Amino acid sequence: MKDTVKESGCILVAPVDEQDGEAQVEIAREIERVYAIPCKTAPLIQDISFAFDTHRNQFNSTLILKELEAHAPDNVLKVMALTSSDLFIPILTYVYGEAQLGGRCAIVSSHRLREGIRPGMDYRKIFLCRLVKECIHELGHTFALRHCRDRSCIMHYGRDVADVDAKSRQLCRYRGIMLNDELSRMGKGSG
Amino acid sequence: MAGTRILVVDDELIIRESLSGWLERDGHEVHTAESGEEALSKINETRYDIIFLDIKMDGMSGLEVLTQIRQSEPEIAVVMITAYGSISSAVKAMKDGAYDYLLKPFDPTQLELLIQKILERRAQARENLFLKEQYKEQSRFESMIGQSRKMREVFDLINDVAPTESTLLITGETGTGKGIAAKAIHTRSPRCAGPFVAINCGALPEHLLESELFGYQKGAFTDAKVTKSGRLEMAEGGTLFLDEIGEISVRMQIDLLRVLEDRIFYRVGGTQPIEADFRVIAATNRDIEDAMKEGRFRRDLFYRLNVISFKMPSLRERKEDIPLLVEHFLSRFSQETNKAVDKIGRDAMDELMLYDWPGNVRELENAIERAVVVCKGREITVRDLPIYHPEGARAEEPASLKEMEKAHISKILEMNDWNIVKSAKALDIDRSTLYAKISRYGLKREG
Repeated sequence: MKDTVKESGCILVAPVDEQDGEAQVEIAREIERVYAIPCKTAPLIQDISFAFDTHRNQFNSTLILKELEAHAPDNVLKVMALTSSDLFIPILTYVYGEAQLGGRCAIVSSHRLREGIRPGMDYRKIFLCRLVKECIHELGHTFALRHCRDRSCIMHYGRDVADVDAKSRQLCRYRGIMLNDELSRMGKGSG
Repeated sequence: MAGTRILVVDDELIIRESLSGWLERDGHEVHTAESGEEALSKINETRYDIIFLDIKMDGMSGLEVLTQIRQSEPEIAVVMITAYGSISSAVKAMKDGAYDYLLKPFDPTQLELLIQKILERRAQARENLFLKEQYKEQSRFESMIGQSRKMREVFDLINDVAPTESTLLITGETGTGKGIAAKAIHTRSPRCAGPFVAINCGALPEHLLESELFGYQKGAFTDAKVTKSGRLEMAEGGTLFLDEIGEISVRMQIDLLRVLEDRIFYRVGGTQPIEADFRVIAATNRDIEDAMKEGRFRRDLFYRLNVISFKMPSLRERKEDIPLLVEHFLSRFSQETNKAVDKIGRDAMDELMLYDWPGNVRELENAIERAVVVCKGREITVRDLPIYHPEGARAEEPASLKEMEKAHISKILEMNDWNIVKSAKALDIDRSTLYAKISRYGLKREG
């Protein structure tokens, strides 16, 4: 998994309205570490007003994913979009992020990841850690990885920020094997 | 929990897509339907664990769909999806048997907790069903007892075959403990956490056996007032023990063959395929080879069942185990009857060793139970045994079986000039048994 990929193709970290450069660097570095695929950082779409729902005062993440898919260059393997806007899918009140299962695009919102950080805690460190974890998690879905029951696995579904804090930045052994299977299927296998 | 099959029913595409996408990422298999009619058609074809059902839909309403699901598939958890303004409908749905309702849009945590609760309840229901079955089986279960060579061979075989998934056929006379052997295999198998579901195929007429095995859908026949799960369904994840398989009709043989070949089955009157996730152990006291020659048993089913087979020895083939078995039954029945019976007299034991036990261990078990009940002191005497008939007691009556046996043995001995080997062979018994019978009946060579 951590071996160098054999073919070209990269993961694009695409900030939408998220201007946190330090976070983008950290996210790209962690994605490269976990998925062993090189990352580039560049905006893909910047206006997401088309996805704004006036009744809910939130942005429809499914619509944003469709737009990202339409704009993603062919040589980009996956797109990891970042936003500070509050996201939803129509049936749920909010989501931290959304991804196309086995597809190309994922998006994560930092909007709700600041919740529950109490005074005296290392605010920046905790927030960055959550953001990185959510990005690795959502990107995992694009590699056809589903939620994992192992609470420490990065693919474990976090009900709230406390769950996000509790899980590691790693895939469990089984999800690691599944990722390798998926990478092999894509012609990006290790070894 | 992965592996749950969910149906999302909503006439809004965006709701279907967003909910199904979310659930798929959670590892569930999700199907969608855009109308009540399509939902019922899908439910007819596929078995779902959970249905998310929108209350307000064009055409058939969610409440109408719920009513039909409750009648045909009462085990499915139906969660109503409703908009803020239709809470009264949701309350009505709960009265009509919906598991719960969710107000659109719902909190992701609420959705996740609800699914977890449903799956836990389902697991609990299955566990209860399993425990009920286990309780029924408990009275019949005994650990297998024996130190004879024949039984040691059986134990070795059980240890060898238990960890496999292979279908097994156990043969042997009635009362030899085929069911106990099947249970022993199950408890040593990787499926031991699942249920052990037994059915005596010879005890039920064909139509009852069919519904008992396969279950039935509501309305499948006149008395099918509610949908009922069959033994095949109850055995999910465990072992299905088909006792007296030699007794089933040719039609049922075809149905069973289909289950074993396709690994799916249908309830009677049902259209949903159900996965057959169980190991099959069959048993018979019949000579299946003979039944096949006579066309009463299908050869293809026999080969499916007979992947591995072994024969349970009769009690007369392992008489050396009788003292051990007697000790075990004595201890059990003295506890059950609360009587301090803890010994067996020498004469009584001789009688038990001499007898041929056509009903095998079960007959011995019954004999000891009776003896403990009628026994006056701490020791069982020969007179407490139901198999004991003192000679001459029925002198005036027609010859008893024992008298006939005595006369027959005497005749065979005379015919063979008291050659023990030849006589034992002619009588189809061991030499030691013949010696014991000669002594027991007081037979002597004339002249």
